[in-house]
Amino acid sequence: MPQYMLALYDDPSGWKKLSPEEMQKAVEKYMAWGKRPYVVTGKRLAADLGKVLKGGSGKGRATDGPYSETKEVLGGIYLIEAKDYDEAVERTLDHPHLEHGTIELRQLYS
Amino acid sequence: MAPSNFASCTHNVTGAERKNVREAGADSGNDAGVLLDHLFRHQVGRVVAHLARVLGPARLDLAEESIQEAMLRALQAWPYQGIPENPGAWLFRVAHNSAIDSLRRARFLDQNSDVVLAELTRASSIASGDPSFEEQLRDDELRMIFMCCHPEIARDARVALSLKTVGGFSVREIASAFLADDAAIAQRLVRAKRQLRDRHVTLDLPDAAELDQRLDSVLETIYFIFNEGYAAHEGEDLIRRDLCFEALRLGRLLAASSLATPRVHALVAVMALQAARLPARIDEAGDLILLEDQDRDRWDQHLIALGFHHFNLSIAGDQVSEYHVQAAIAAVYTRAADLRSIDWPAILELYNQLLAISGASPVVALNRAVAVAKVHGAAEALAEIETLRGNPRLRDYYLLLAVRGHLLEELGRHEEAAECWRAALACRCSEPERRFLRRKLS
Repeated sequence: MPQYMLALYDDPSGWKKLSPEEMQKAVEKYMAWGKRPYVVTGKRLAADLGKVLKGGSGKGRATDGPYSETKEVLGGIYLIEAKDYDEAVERTLDHPHLEHGTIELRQLYS
Repeated sequence: MAPSNFASCTHNVTGAERKNVREAGADSGNDAGVLLDHLFRHQVGRVVAHLARVLGPARLDLAEESIQEAMLRALQAWPYQGIPENPGAWLFRVAHNSAIDSLRRARFLDQNSDVVLAELTRASSIASGDPSFEEQLRDDELRMIFMCCHPEIARDARVALSLKTVGGFSVREIASAFLADDAAIAQRLVRAKRQLRDRHVTLDLPDAAELDQRLDSVLETIYFIFNEGYAAHEGEDLIRRDLCFEALRLGRLLAASSLATPRVHALVAVMALQAARLPARIDEAGDLILLEDQDRDRWDQHLIALGFHHFNLSIAGDQVSEYHVQAAIAAVYTRAADLRSIDWPAILELYNQLLAISGASPVVALNRAVAVAKVHGAAEALAEIETLRGNPRLRDYYLLLAVRGHLLEELGRHEEAAECWRAALACRCSEPERRFLRRKLS
């Protein structure tokens, strides 16, 4: 079964508007989605923006993450199984993250 | 100076209370990785109360920011990593670490800071469920309740501050419960915090000399929150039901402490007995069901048992407060096996007492009139209501018109009854109440 990667982007400042009760509800919705049988794994990314590495003449160079000009950052990824893009989209469309941010869906070559 | 641990229970802990302690306590996770209802909200109350005592009430904002930061981190981590074994303790620890970081970063370190930092570090590493620490936390919550309800703070500000700081409600949630806009509530909170600072309100618990007055202020605030939630102003919003249960939680916290007086138990009894009827008050279509027509099987037996438990404790001493009489009225309704067996003469007698205690409140007089109708007939009740019609506090009060219409109908004066209901429809009332009146009219 082909695997698809969900890259979850969001604007962290948006979360601050939620009440404690709403935050709990959001966590519960994510957890419930994550327990679905076709979810292979989920990984959270560190809150820093990471590094960008670029090659140049001779030696490569690392700089701090590239996202400073955008508000949305990549917060985590999930891997799911689906037979094709249509099914992967269908399985992702009700992800609770879409209430808060965007999801980028990409197929992995096995 | 007040003794240090007020939170110790002075009476036998019931099964219900044991459950409550467990819910409120650090043992907040379970095997299935499911969170307890309102865990985040309750954890806000506990953490803010504890941090505010350690940091000092002047740094209430820092305490609130710290738990907010902890919840945000939970939101980022738990969806991917799963819920930690003890989510409540996790939030508590992360909030403390966040407070420690903020203190160090802000460099407002003084000679007191070492003590504060050491205390924060110690608290963040204490094993959850440690009984004496749990007692300390309940004590901290009590101190916070007394501070938020201090008589030096205006009442509407007391209510908003308690809900935000102790109850973990957001500005928007408070605004929606009180039909106010967010800015007004935010302003109220700013004012409350300014009053706390200007009037040097501390987290000290009241000593014996001022206990009565401070407790009055706390009970009044709790009862106000309960009644706001209980009144079906705008339908049965979940947030309003949450107000009822938050008020009940606060009352029980007080009742389980050594500051409990018979009045505290009486208030808990009223709230529990009335809240027990919440599930039966609305039908599937969202329409109001009068007490007389409610399906008693839908009353919450757990809350009824809790109510009677506190009702029995409220009888100690010879003081009879408004809460005692309200609890007694609720108890008569609850004890009756069915509509026909309600002891109306007893209820009328209780309303007579309540009328005297309340200084002839017109709202109490209106409720009393319903009991008069049951005991002495509609004509006598109508005569009593006529004297209330000129009262400015009841002008445009839909319930006065609705009750009057009901009495006129009983007397066969249908035209006048319909006129009353039409007038009631023009007053401010909730959608279910409106539908109820329309059903009467058709």
